[in-house]
Amino acid sequence: MPWTRTAVPSQDKERTPLLEVRDVEVSFRTVGGTVHAVKGNSFSVHSGETLALVGESGSGKSVTARSIMRMLADNATVAPQSEVWFKGRNLMKLSEEEMQRIRGDRITMIFQEPLTSLNPIYRIGSQVEEIIRTHRRMSKAKAREEVIRLFTEVQIPDPEARIDQYPHQLSGGQRQRVMIAMALANEPDLLIADEPTTALDVTVQADILKLLKSLQLRHDMAMILITHDLGVVRQTSDRVCVMRYGEILETGTTESVFSSPSHPYTRHLIDSEPSGTPDELAPQAEEVIVGHEMRTVFNIKHGSFFNRKTMELVAVNDISLSIRAGETLGIVGESGSGKSTLGMSLIRLQQATAGQIHYRKERIDQLSKKEMQPFRTNLQVVFQDPFSSLNPRMIIRQIVSEGLVVNNIGKNSEDRRQLVEDALRDVQMDPAVMDRFPNEFSGGQRQRIAIARAIVLRPKFVLLDEPTSALDLSIQAQIIDLLRALRRKHDLSYMFISHDLKVVRALCHNVIVMQSGNVVEQGPTHEVLENPKTEYTRRLVSAALGER
Amino acid sequence: MSDLPNSGSETESAGMHAEAKAAHSLTYWQLVRRRFMRNAYGMAGLAGCVFIVCTALFAGFIAPYSPTEGDRTLLYTPPQTFKIYESGSGFQRPFVYGFNEEMDATTFRITFVPDPEKKQVLRFFVQGSEWSFLGMKFTTHLYGTDEGSRIHVLGTDNLGRDVFSRMIWGTRISLLMGVIVMAAALAVGSAVGMTAGYFGGMYDLVVQRIVEFFKAFPALPLYLALTAILPRRADPVMVFIMFAAILFLLRWADLSREVRGKVISMRRLEYVRAAEAVGASNRRIIVRHVAPNISSHLIVWATFQLPEVILLESFLSFLGVGVQQPMVSWGVMLNQILDFQSFSAAPWMMSPVGMIVITVMAFNACGDGLRDAMDPYSSA
Repeated sequence: MPWTRTAVPSQDKERTPLLEVRDVEVSFRTVGGTVHAVKGNSFSVHSGETLALVGESGSGKSVTARSIMRMLADNATVAPQSEVWFKGRNLMKLSEEEMQRIRGDRITMIFQEPLTSLNPIYRIGSQVEEIIRTHRRMSKAKAREEVIRLFTEVQIPDPEARIDQYPHQLSGGQRQRVMIAMALANEPDLLIADEPTTALDVTVQADILKLLKSLQLRHDMAMILITHDLGVVRQTSDRVCVMRYGEILETGTTESVFSSPSHPYTRHLIDSEPSGTPDELAPQAEEVIVGHEMRTVFNIKHGSFFNRKTMELVAVNDISLSIRAGETLGIVGESGSGKSTLGMSLIRLQQATAGQIHYRKERIDQLSKKEMQPFRTNLQVVFQDPFSSLNPRMIIRQIVSEGLVVNNIGKNSEDRRQLVEDALRDVQMDPAVMDRFPNEFSGGQRQRIAIARAIVLRPKFVLLDEPTSALDLSIQAQIIDLLRALRRKHDLSYMFISHDLKVVRALCHNVIVMQSGNVVEQGPTHEVLENPKTEYTRRLVSAALGER
Repeated sequence: MSDLPNSGSETESAGMHAEAKAAHSLTYWQLVRRRFMRNAYGMAGLAGCVFIVCTALFAGFIAPYSPTEGDRTLLYTPPQTFKIYESGSGFQRPFVYGFNEEMDATTFRITFVPDPEKKQVLRFFVQGSEWSFLGMKFTTHLYGTDEGSRIHVLGTDNLGRDVFSRMIWGTRISLLMGVIVMAAALAVGSAVGMTAGYFGGMYDLVVQRIVEFFKAFPALPLYLALTAILPRRADPVMVFIMFAAILFLLRWADLSREVRGKVISMRRLEYVRAAEAVGASNRRIIVRHVAPNISSHLIVWATFQLPEVILLESFLSFLGVGVQQPMVSWGVMLNQILDFQSFSAAPWMMSPVGMIVITVMAFNACGDGLRDAMDPYSSA
């Protein structure tokens, strides 16, 4: 190697970049053959700068970041010509020990899921302490002081008390703050944040991003932010790399990329943000489903054997609602607010404790499982997670036709096959996919199949339980278009559960904002979003739609 | 269709949608097979399993003699070794020497000395005692010697019976015991576990207490009690069945626990709830959705259970409380050298141990390979 100087040659004459990634190529060996996850990418980051790697799932953004840290899975191969220059050293050529000294010290990383990245059996304080003491000589007492200082810096309230708590005692946002404290512990030069806010609620997301930004300025760190959320990119990053299929398509400053994207894919991504408004609702449409004073309570037993107490967790607290034919009702709230329980109780997949439910004037809340059977075809559901909602051992035809078989719709299998074909066409899937297994399809395609399974029964009402939140932005936009089109074609009513106000604004006529089992605000969507009456709704709205 | 937006289909305008597609159209079982085939240790195990099963199926053909026929003149003879060179006549086809019995006048110890006069040439596909396979009768055996003489590659036992033949025949009983116990435990354990996990509530509570009762039962006293309960002259087949029943009773409980846990977590999965939402009956959900998704777990359990049962059977038969004579299993054969004297006099009667080790290792290797191949988190 001719590289004996400490400085890295660069086109940038004024400043040497802190990190320069050159021609990094990563491939994975799998049973199905070799998968090229990252194809010869190059980019650089200066200190004090935030670079966003944007792309949809499978675009290789996380793999790129992990290859910088040399934290790839065992079956990954990094091509020999790949170089990662960090402070004058090629990280690809370092020994594992030298790399360990850099990891967690000079370069640190924050992950998406704050619950699984913290060890549940150690106190959070000692986990942060460990990081400090592996890289710096420091007494235990001194390290503890340092941890408290860090916790104060990442704005964890009451750090002296929190330091001795376990991860499960903290909320998701707090845990992510602990992760950030851990990442900052040794004042790194480069912080890699891999979808740091994706698993968090909207209002918490905004706070965490603000914190990251301020910390970066204070410490003059470089940051690589990996995200699929364009809103996050716009708020935090200086420069952007747009990735697709393991390649960087476009690199530029955030303003220039957003205002004049040069690659059509970038433009497509920007255009994919949910837009439009719901169709006009017929004023005299009949009520399809009505819930009156619905209440769902979970009993939680706690206390010792001799002193057993039962705590009531009220997930749905006396909520009344009605949905008319063709109407889409949005249910908005943060995780744990009871929105899914409300939906499941309404279609009786969850037994409500009290209240009345009417489907087209017929009371259904007291019916047994058998008596519910005739109503099942009318009340359908689409779940959030496209990966667990399809039985992996069944082919698509079996999955979609199950409801037909169970409810004796269609005279024979040929008839049913025709109905399945129609349903697949409705969701814009090629009917030829019928004989394939779910694992061959992407998330968006799976969600289409799940929708086909619901609409093949010709329901009147479909509960959509966060159907788009596990999907990439551009796929999300398509699913929303599809749901809109299906509503028109089959005159469906939807209950749309979501935490994403942008989607709700595009799709719902009316909206209910929920917080810990209670209705906070209820009314036509545009009124609620434009003039939120309560503090809680105001916070939700400003966090989700605020920057525009 | 005209009212549907046409920007839709992901397959058509793939360029704009960067979602990664599944690389290959492989079903789950194709994937498992491929992963398994790449695992050399697992494949060796599979080969071993096939070998053992074939041995059991074609025992009559492989063994030169029936397990009961003995030669009263050849008690405790040591294994005969094949030779292909004879001084004087050079190389020739494989042969063995017969024995001359000699008694040491001072120690009274009987020794067997190979006698070049009693040369027996090894022959293949010879006619011998009758054996049946699938109701058909055959008399051909893989190997033997000329009419009137016998060949004992692993020596003979106290009644002059061929140890090798008995060992081959013993494969049948040992394997049959393993398969019966494993299959019964699999059927009952998975049925009980699935229903308990799926329905929950009072039923689950009662079933779990029953499971605990069986798990708490001290196993060894029960086995020993078996010999006490059964009449002295009980039919060996009867003993075999009772023995299998007791082994089964003590084995289904573990599986039902495992399956119950898996089903409880599976019950919350969205595809099970989706089936509920279309109005599928409980029976249908269990048969169509739950059972296929725990099948891989069951298969792995079965391949690990089989050698365990075989080991237990041979251990108990060795103690004399398992399979009874005249049925032949590996354990029964080892029972003949229970005391130290007969062991030192005829160490070749230990040879069933070799078969037990091969069987246990083969099935365990196969199970290991299957478990790795079916692991959904494996990246290989």
